Amino acid sequence: MLFWILVAILTAAVAVALILPLLRRTETVAAGGSHDVAVYRDQLEELKRDEAAGLIGSGEAEIARAEVARRLIAATRNADTGTIDPAGRRNRLAQAVVILLLPALGLCLYLATGRPDLPSQPLAQRLADPGNDVSILIAKAENHLARNPGDGAGWEVLAPIYVRNGRLEDAVNAYAQAARLLGASPERLDGRAEALIMLADGIVTDEARKLFEQSVSLAPDNPRARYYLALALEQEGDRDAARAAYEALAKGSPADAPWLSLVNRHIAGLSGETADTAAGNPTAADIAAAQDMSTEDRGQMIAGMVESLAAKLADDPADLEGWQRLIRSYVVLDQRPQAQAALRTALKRFPAESQNGRTLLALARDLSIPVEDVGQ
Amino acid sequence: MIIELGHYALVLALATTIIQCLLPLAGTLRNDRALMAVAPAAALAGFLLVLFSFCVLTFAYVVSDFSVVNVWENSHSLKPMIYKISGVWGNHEGSMMLWLLILAIFSALVAVFGSNLPERLRANVLAVQGLISTAFGLFILLTSNPFLRLSPAPAEGRDLNPVLQDIGLAIHPPLLYLGYVGFSLCFSFAIAALIDGRIDAAWARWVRPWALAAWSFLTAGIAMGSYWAYYELGWGGWWFWDPVENASFIPWLAGTALLHSAIVMEKREALKIWTVLLAILTFSMSLLGTFLVRSGVLTSVHAFATDPTRGIFILGILVFFIGGALSLFAFRATTLKAGGLFQPISREGALVLNNLILTTAAATVLTGTLYPLMLEAVTGEKISVGPPFFNLTFGLLMIPLLLAVPFGPLLAWKRGDLLAAGQRLFAAAGIGLTVAAIALYIERGGPIMAYFGIATGVYLIVGALTDLWLRAGIGKVAPSVAWRRFKGLPGSAFGTALAHLGVGVMLVGIVAVTAFETEHVVEMKPGMQVEAGGFVLTYDGMRSGQGPNYSEDSAHFTVARGGVAVTEIWSSKRMYTARRMPTTEAGIRTFGLSQLYVSLGDEMTGGGIVVRVWWKPMILCIWFGALIMMAGGTVSLCDRRLRVGAPQKARRMKPAVEAAE
Repeated sequence: MLFWILVAILTAAVAVALILPLLRRTETVAAGGSHDVAVYRDQLEELKRDEAAGLIGSGEAEIARAEVARRLIAATRNADTGTIDPAGRRNRLAQAVVILLLPALGLCLYLATGRPDLPSQPLAQRLADPGNDVSILIAKAENHLARNPGDGAGWEVLAPIYVRNGRLEDAVNAYAQAARLLGASPERLDGRAEALIMLADGIVTDEARKLFEQSVSLAPDNPRARYYLALALEQEGDRDAARAAYEALAKGSPADAPWLSLVNRHIAGLSGETADTAAGNPTAADIAAAQDMSTEDRGQMIAGMVESLAAKLADDPADLEGWQRLIRSYVVLDQRPQAQAALRTALKRFPAESQNGRTLLALARDLSIPVEDVGQ
Repeated sequence: MIIELGHYALVLALATTIIQCLLPLAGTLRNDRALMAVAPAAALAGFLLVLFSFCVLTFAYVVSDFSVVNVWENSHSLKPMIYKISGVWGNHEGSMMLWLLILAIFSALVAVFGSNLPERLRANVLAVQGLISTAFGLFILLTSNPFLRLSPAPAEGRDLNPVLQDIGLAIHPPLLYLGYVGFSLCFSFAIAALIDGRIDAAWARWVRPWALAAWSFLTAGIAMGSYWAYYELGWGGWWFWDPVENASFIPWLAGTALLHSAIVMEKREALKIWTVLLAILTFSMSLLGTFLVRSGVLTSVHAFATDPTRGIFILGILVFFIGGALSLFAFRATTLKAGGLFQPISREGALVLNNLILTTAAATVLTGTLYPLMLEAVTGEKISVGPPFFNLTFGLLMIPLLLAVPFGPLLAWKRGDLLAAGQRLFAAAGIGLTVAAIALYIERGGPIMAYFGIATGVYLIVGALTDLWLRAGIGKVAPSVAWRRFKGLPGSAFGTALAHLGVGVMLVGIVAVTAFETEHVVEMKPGMQVEAGGFVLTYDGMRSGQGPNYSEDSAHFTVARGGVAVTEIWSSKRMYTARRMPTTEAGIRTFGLSQLYVSLGDEMTGGGIVVRVWWKPMILCIWFGALIMMAGGTVSLCDRRLRVGAPQKARRMKPAVEAAE
């Protein structure tokens, strides 16, 4: 309410400032040529100065003086005749233009893009009272860690949150800090290595492999680390060793382990003559599935959440963040066709060339969902 | 709420500028003084609204309000405060806001100080100014609104492009815009004259100071941009004939021509129509520059966002103003009265020569800039018109101009004596050649043209001083008299001399750097040495550091001369955390007017690093020259006579002005 009062006051103030000149009766009648006369007089004086300084020859000065004098006479004549109509009349039309145009144009344009409902949100104020603003909570934790970089538990909590928000480099750093302060554990090593793999677009880098090796040396039956070590072998092209590693992993796993299907797929791929997965780059889904190895029932839980989210979005398709979450979730669940379909539906709501559409396309590219056929 | 209020103020400012355009124009058509009187009121109100809006945007940056999309996209809470503020215009939306603000400032200046202008002229000028503001206000609100919001707000911004996180961003764009937009006033005056079909005597008195102010700002802005690129980009170059640079250089050339023709017009009422045309062309070139830089036609650090709708919108503004102005000129120019006559050999004639060469030069640069773009648009063929083209064409054009510059002030108005002026410049030419000979003796070699260049530069410097020397009568009259006459010289005489002297200083710098700079690209390991400019640099090793929003690796060099360590140089590479973008921070040491420039390249396997070392002799002359030119403009601007205008009138108008406020 206060906002609208201020808007009204501002508009009224400007309108008054513009209407005042229209209301004033002007008594004096300015002569059109009087300005010119003054300027020409001044020019004559200047000519005198220039002549004294030798900047113009005396003969030329005489001619110039005659030129200026002719103009001066003409201007004086104008000054006598050229008067301006003393407009005492009130400009009702002009006043109407001011009174109507200001609020009409102002409100139309403002309401088209303005967000009068949205308060200012200075960062300091948000940090002081975060409520349930996730990004601010992260920021707060970061500020806390910047002041207390020795708080290992803090880094440990923050690391997986970073992964979930796609801030992989920060995640790598957070896992490394946690391991440095609290000592290496399979969880910390694996987390860091996984973030590194995601950063490298699915390639198990040297650095990641060493971390997994360290992790296996700490806990030999760690399926996640063993899977990635096998994957590293596969990516290096050592198919036999890779298959042996996968098979050892499959053998050591309980029969209902959720990662078994993934491991078996790799075994099948490596057994076949034509190496159709030989490219060896696991998709983001593979990584996500591997993540499930540590939290087995997470998969089912996610599936249930995703269903309810999809239903909600069908009712209210304007929720950009919901769409992003849904697409990400489908990819996590390895349901890429659904992810693509969701992206297509979302893009109908948010065209590809809009800001939101671009956000969606960027997400899709991040998750390596083909965007060429969806985006255009 | 304050953000939304700023947004509303911007919208209201647009409505105000529309009124500022419509009512005064109607007023001059109907000869209605009340309607004309709306112009200054609207200009002031519009200025206050835009100022408020701009301050609100700045406030959003200062407090890191990431619910504003523009702040989120271009700021970061850890950024030092100065870059938070300068970051306001370090992006497309904000820079257009700065443009609008400066436009509003100039309108307000005319409103406040224009009381000695004829009413009709003032109303028309402000109406045209309002029209330009309206166009840019619409552009901002429809395509580049900086007040769009984001909900929920992110916790951290995406940070400003690291290359722009520099003190240069705080100085270069505002100066450049003051120049660009300052020429809008000359444009408005020209259009106002064309609308009325007559040029008041006060016209030139007003156009000249505005052209002078705009020119001074533009000079400083371009020089600052050049120096910034020099130390920040790490290439060691100060001018690349890059299209973006040309986009600012073309208006500068046209503006320099305008400045000189305005002198003729002010003093002798000659060249009226030509001055009007130049005023139109200069601002048109400013608009064209904005279009080239902002539309994404050119890719550079200046093209903040490449959005086709924006490009088309600016193209529309461009076509409307340039096309409209030139059509108006075609229809109305014949009704303007031509001014006084003069001989070819005279001050006027010299200024015409200056105009011819400068406009040709501007046209040359324009061709070289646009031709590749046109060719690519039409045939799809990509060519690059590089420094060789510009150095040849532009360089050749400049030679006669530079030789002629000292003659101008020595020639009398109406009819001058070329021979006498030439004789007076004997000393200048002699000193120039002597200095060049000394330089040749010291350097023992180098391109012979370079020595002619240095001779020309020194000749320009001494030639500019010759004018002051002669006018004070030093050596002819008693020293005390000469001193009194020297002190009594008008500011514009000092301004002219300084500006011309600046050209000479700059020329010396350009020639010296081009001919005598040395460049070494070496792979160095700690302990290795490289020689440049008589110094021996020893690479001591790297050190890692942490800035507020970046991490950096700095290499340390010890600089020694004759075996004695003189100084040290830190040269570093930075990685900005938020954007994961590397920048180089060149290590620069100044020795007199010369500089030693060390920039780091890629790290090699085995602990080595690629190091580029330049010795840049006399390079500071380039920017000092520009600063001297700017100082010349300022001194000339302070000339008492320029403020005369219509003194009695001003006094009589005073009460009315006070009542208006």
